[in-house]
Amino acid sequence: MKAVCWMGTGKLETLNVPDPTLLNPHDAIIKITRTAICGSDLHLYDGFIPTMEAGDILGHEFMGLIEEVGNDVTNLKRGDRVVVPFTIACGNCLFCRKKLWSACDNTNPNSHLMEAAYGYSGSGLFGYSHMMGGYAGGQAQYARVPFANVGPLKIESDLPDEKVLFLSDIFPTGYMAAENAQIQPGDTVAVWGCGPVGQFTIASAFMLGAGRVIAIDRFPERLKLARSLGAITVDYSEEDVNVLTALKDLTGGIGPDACIDAVGLEAHSTELQGVYDKVKTSLLLETDRPGVLRQAIQAVRKGGTVSIPGVYGGLLDKVPFGAAFGKGITMKMGQTNMHNYMKPLLERIEQGQIDPSYLISHRITLDEAPEMYKVWRDKKDNVTKIVIDPWAEKGSA
Amino acid sequence: MSHPLMEKPNAEQVLFSASAAVVMDGRYLAPPQDKDGKIWARTSAIVQADASELYALWRDVESAPKWQEQMTSVRRIGDVTSHWVMESDGEKIEWDSEILADEPGKRIAWRSIAGDSSNAGEVIFDTAPGDRGTLVTVLQEFHLGKIANAWETIVGRNPKQSVIENLRHFKAFAETGEIPRTQGQPHGPRGIIGKMKKSLYGETITTPPAEKAS
Repeated sequence: MKAVCWMGTGKLETLNVPDPTLLNPHDAIIKITRTAICGSDLHLYDGFIPTMEAGDILGHEFMGLIEEVGNDVTNLKRGDRVVVPFTIACGNCLFCRKKLWSACDNTNPNSHLMEAAYGYSGSGLFGYSHMMGGYAGGQAQYARVPFANVGPLKIESDLPDEKVLFLSDIFPTGYMAAENAQIQPGDTVAVWGCGPVGQFTIASAFMLGAGRVIAIDRFPERLKLARSLGAITVDYSEEDVNVLTALKDLTGGIGPDACIDAVGLEAHSTELQGVYDKVKTSLLLETDRPGVLRQAIQAVRKGGTVSIPGVYGGLLDKVPFGAAFGKGITMKMGQTNMHNYMKPLLERIEQGQIDPSYLISHRITLDEAPEMYKVWRDKKDNVTKIVIDPWAEKGSA
Repeated sequence: MSHPLMEKPNAEQVLFSASAAVVMDGRYLAPPQDKDGKIWARTSAIVQADASELYALWRDVESAPKWQEQMTSVRRIGDVTSHWVMESDGEKIEWDSEILADEPGKRIAWRSIAGDSSNAGEVIFDTAPGDRGTLVTVLQEFHLGKIANAWETIVGRNPKQSVIENLRHFKAFAETGEIPRTQGQPHGPRGIIGKMKKSLYGETITTPPAEKAS
């Protein structure tokens, strides 16, 4: 099959590799019909994520048709159409039982790498480094999906792929961010970052009753999309704009009820000095760049909530914890517990409350993917979201 | 008290003082420190299964190759004795082991009695508070020396890390009926650095099968 392979920092190639096979009894093989490039894939491209190996297949946002299932998968059969969550969960450990799926204890075969780096291990992820499990990703024609009895969401309606594909990551991630913001009807919510996750955060904040959403970014195409959802936009790159002043001006001086950091630290800009040193080493984590987090804490109203879907990886310097304490704020964050959100959000799509495909700006082939990573990374060509048809030939997608 | 390097473990300290316990008389006990050629590994896991089930799985020594890394075969040779074989890249170490304490549903302690490895261990199964399954605590002891070094060379992991990985596999096997694996997946060409990383990360150690070998 064809697959997008990471061959080193800034070096991707679409290569022919062997087809995946069933390895465990709860596996399924999926023939991928649509897949996407995630903003967080750019951090792999740029070499920010340690423990990538040359030859790794990228991609964690994908859907397709069940091709084959292992002996212990009884809820799916060949031909079923499914969306696959990017976090892999076993369904049986203490954390899965508590519905903290992204904290699954069992799905990361390389837990020791993450434990060496962070002191804990979360669930395995598709196509996102060996520390996160080393699972082959979904920017390919086929993928092996472990614990297929737990994760994949069956799509029974005839909704086109593009309307449901983003249930694999960014829509639930944006939704959980809004849910974590503890929005009460009429609340004012500020969202930093209007990339794909920020977009779904804005849409979800409105769904959860926000009276006003303020969106902060600097790219015109993103701000335009945010306005199309009903948000008021603040372009922080404009010379006279000060974000904290803007948020005061828009809230009568008290600040937003909830502030959502959908940026992170250039997500994962963590340097890990040597990852696995047989027994005792741990790593040195370089300082993250928590500029948005600082602003969010400073901006939020007294007693408000800061929600953080943006990824942080290490140790943060000079976070205004005095202000956080003084204002008595709540902070909620974390990797998305995908499995809680996929079905209810599918229902919202089916009811026509949202059409996530509005975000798509580019439709490409697998062969075009390496070049499009570069275009998106360099913020050219007004990219908002790139979707891949893994079976299209060049020029026809 | 110091011990010379020896081929057979001085295992009594573990076995008869219940050293795998983490709490004694209400106090937390730190794990034993490595010294005098002995190294210790203590690790624990919360497993969503009854203590009796987990005890039975651990006590069924012949099934150990399903979840212990690099274990080729385990054969019972008596009521409490068994013969263990580990193998990697054609190199093999073998030893006999005996069970010294056996409390169904609660605790098992063992030590090697002959062969290429000097090791001893204990596993304790406690009901976790708050309906959270079973708290499994493992303490293992290895004697350094040429044989333990051979073990490390063959296994490709420090024995301490092997104890941690094996409990992880045990837990996954007990909770899900399988052990998550990525070996055998498709990938592009690894190149030299990719191959080095694979070995450095311990990914060249075969994930135990979780099922009986056919």
